[in-house]
Amino acid sequence: MDGRIRNLIDQTIKSLRRRGVDYADVRWVKQLEEEIIVQNLQVQHISHSTSEGISIRVLHRGAWGHAASSRLDGPGLAHTAEQALEMAKAVALSCQEKVALEPVEPARARYATPLEVDPFQVELQKKLDYLLWTTQVLKDHPNIKTATACLEFYRTNKLFCSTEGSLIEQEITESGGMLEATAILNNEVQRRSYPTANSSSLTQGGYESVKGLDFVGQASRVRKEAVSLLRAKECPAEISTVILMPDQLILQLHESCGHPVELDRALGMELSFAGGSFLTPELLGSFRYGSKWVNITADATAPSGCGTFGYDDEGVPAQRVPIIRDGLFVGYLSSRETAQRIRRTSSGAMRADGWNSMPIVRMTNVNLEPGDGTLEGMIRETKRGILMATNKSWSIDDRRLNFQFGTEIAWEIRQGRIGQVLKNPMYTGITPEFWGSCTGVAGKGQWQLFGVPNCAKGEPVQIMHVGHGAAPARFERVQVGRKR
Amino acid sequence: MLLGESRIVSALKRAAAASPADETLIAAQRESFTTLRFAGERIHQSFQEEEVTVWVKVAVRGRIGVATTCSLSHEALMKAIESAMTITRVAVKPTASASRPTASAAKPTTPPFSSAPPKIPTPRLTTYFPGTAHRPLTEIVPMIQHLWKTAGSVGVSLAGSFVRGEEELAVAGSRGLAQYQPFSIAGLRLVPTKGKASGFAAQVSRDLGVLEPEPLLERALRLCRMNEDPKEIPVGKYDVLLEPEAVSELLEWLGYIGFGAKQVTERTSFMAGRMGERIMGRGISISDDGANPEGLAVPFDYEGIPKQQVPLIRQGVASGIVYDSHYARLHRHGSTGHAGSYDQFEGPLPTNLFLAAGDPPAAELIRKMDRGLWIGRFHYVSGLLNTQEALMTGLTRDGTFLIKKGKVAGAVKNLRFTQSILEAFSKVAAVSRERRLVADPSQGLSAAVCPALLIQDFTFTGQTK
Repeated sequence: MDGRIRNLIDQTIKSLRRRGVDYADVRWVKQLEEEIIVQNLQVQHISHSTSEGISIRVLHRGAWGHAASSRLDGPGLAHTAEQALEMAKAVALSCQEKVALEPVEPARARYATPLEVDPFQVELQKKLDYLLWTTQVLKDHPNIKTATACLEFYRTNKLFCSTEGSLIEQEITESGGMLEATAILNNEVQRRSYPTANSSSLTQGGYESVKGLDFVGQASRVRKEAVSLLRAKECPAEISTVILMPDQLILQLHESCGHPVELDRALGMELSFAGGSFLTPELLGSFRYGSKWVNITADATAPSGCGTFGYDDEGVPAQRVPIIRDGLFVGYLSSRETAQRIRRTSSGAMRADGWNSMPIVRMTNVNLEPGDGTLEGMIRETKRGILMATNKSWSIDDRRLNFQFGTEIAWEIRQGRIGQVLKNPMYTGITPEFWGSCTGVAGKGQWQLFGVPNCAKGEPVQIMHVGHGAAPARFERVQVGRKR
Repeated sequence: MLLGESRIVSALKRAAAASPADETLIAAQRESFTTLRFAGERIHQSFQEEEVTVWVKVAVRGRIGVATTCSLSHEALMKAIESAMTITRVAVKPTASASRPTASAAKPTTPPFSSAPPKIPTPRLTTYFPGTAHRPLTEIVPMIQHLWKTAGSVGVSLAGSFVRGEEELAVAGSRGLAQYQPFSIAGLRLVPTKGKASGFAAQVSRDLGVLEPEPLLERALRLCRMNEDPKEIPVGKYDVLLEPEAVSELLEWLGYIGFGAKQVTERTSFMAGRMGERIMGRGISISDDGANPEGLAVPFDYEGIPKQQVPLIRQGVASGIVYDSHYARLHRHGSTGHAGSYDQFEGPLPTNLFLAAGDPPAAELIRKMDRGLWIGRFHYVSGLLNTQEALMTGLTRDGTFLIKKGKVAGAVKNLRFTQSILEAFSKVAAVSRERRLVADPSQGLSAAVCPALLIQDFTFTGQTK
């Protein structure tokens, strides 16, 4: 970052200290993004984006004021700081209960994503060739009407300074993409995607992670599965054993565990928009969330995770926090303010999606820890069941209990073997009953970490990049299919 | 304060004129928003944000490049143009290889757009009310405090948000296009809770003076009171009375999955191949109308094209879809003024949806029901289950009531529906005379205007705890 901005930030912090604020922090953020989309062998879209600005958060007389601007000169920062302070003063007029922050050791640190190949140094032509080649393989069937492949790269540089003395520089690089084939036969339209559907899967890392996705190698499988769905049987409506593949389980984790363990939700701070949580503080440490097979961790230190960082956006170090241990609810995602309200320490989950957003409690990498089974073993042990893969749709109630997910594809399991393909699969349940029915999780060898770049929360809505890891897992007596 | 037309448009025009591309379009959006979120008798989030986003689209020999920046300085705009030019210089021909596509297989990028002034005039609209964005916080905070104290006095806790702001949208092109419009917006959302009971009411307007906090609180509190002690009911088919907020969720999903030219082109839309066919009941007419001041009017799109009134469903018949310049050329149709920002890939979308009103007053709709459910709003609707059928799922929220013989018989627990909306909109028994504007005030360029709907045989497939 340039020294001019650092000096301006130093001056702003000093000025806010002089004004007698309880606490203040300043975040400078610069984001670069490159997106390349190829569809049916045509370049559909290429864009480069740059966004840079500053965010100032002030705690004054026990009330928060927060302002952000892309004006990066001296008067711009002074004006933004003044706005934050004036806002805190106005809010303080209504404030009966003063905000208290859980103490944190000031840090002077630097974090950067370990990477082999800087994706922003790789020639655009090379990326384009890779996608053109992918869509050629993907499109190679008369029923495939739309073959799309895309790559996305992000670089976020941040500087965090606080009146407590923290000075933290971070550089986070993310790379990823997806491919998608839409097959059509008469009125039947079916889609298959890889590695995830509806958005790219990102990895914190360089261009080497794109190579690891092996788009060209996967494209023929994706194409064949899309075509096979055109003549497939409808997923039946029945109570069944279900085995979920990691590319579906990550959404199950996200919606039914990640969001309800956000402590701001549990404390009612999101009631006006996203809703509350059934995992209220009095249940911490005693509520049985799932079976003994279920161990879920919020891990902001996971290598290559999209929810990995050195420090969160209020200067708390990244942590690995147990959320569900042997089925028991034991931890929250939290911030300095929310943790203090339940007399706990922050789990380091305060994150903003850019300079123009305020930090709120967000997921890091919320992972289902591997078990000791195998996918093959779980299938072998299942007399009658359904194997579902790749999330297609998601919906859950405002307390995160009643959910329904659709997946792109499923297969019958009969007498321990994979059978015919099923189209339009879906399943529904109640969160603790569902996780309570888990009877096995596959081991480390089949565990995968995905980057989910489209987690929406807050007012105004912030879109966060988060991570989820999972191995295939089995659940008993699940309602599948569409009841009419 | 607004930056103003002359400052923004002159910056864009100067950069577009200096662009070496065959055609250049530049769109700029400046936003300044204040958000106050409250719960538990305190404002827990207070945020003032000001930002500029500039999208540059250039065409060189039919190849398009897009870049964005966050500054209106000439240096930043020219840097963005150069970044977009770099993209157009990329050879479309991939490297020769036996297993890779041949040069002939690779085609140029999409056809270019027009940077000349549009042939149809842009409507003059009043979309900016100066008092909205600048009322002092020292007046707004006590108003919010008064609301939670009123709720508290009847034993109810109040959560909610207040948003107010201003936006400016400008578009300029290298062949003389120049458009500018300022907007203001204000919104209040209230969620009272008592135990597990909750209610909801929200209002949004371009004019802060139009908001009526106290009647809004009264409506939300009434729902919350009625919602105490909800009972379980068997899942299955029920007649439903959907309030405008519930209808708008369904309408917006229909717009996202079905009314855009991209979804029709890719045949994932329920409209694909069905133009002129009756796909909903006669009582349903849906249009997109950016110039209608009953909604949150926006006179032109991100390509500077005036927004047209587009009938999408006319008395149940599939009648039209929306286009931007790319899909207009592909379909040999004129753009309807529905281009989004240049960095999005979802294609043209309807963002000012209107569902036509019916005859009976809303108050009469409940009286028309023998047995059914009255639903205030939906939560977490997904329209991705089967987009050709418009099959959607979602849950009721903040008040679901059993109606018997035209009267409220009690609250029921939130229910999950799984229902084709084409089928539901084919079973509409009544449409209310009154309509409500439903929008997220922090996204002040899109909205839906909806009546209440009485629908027969709506399918519920689950119930929450």
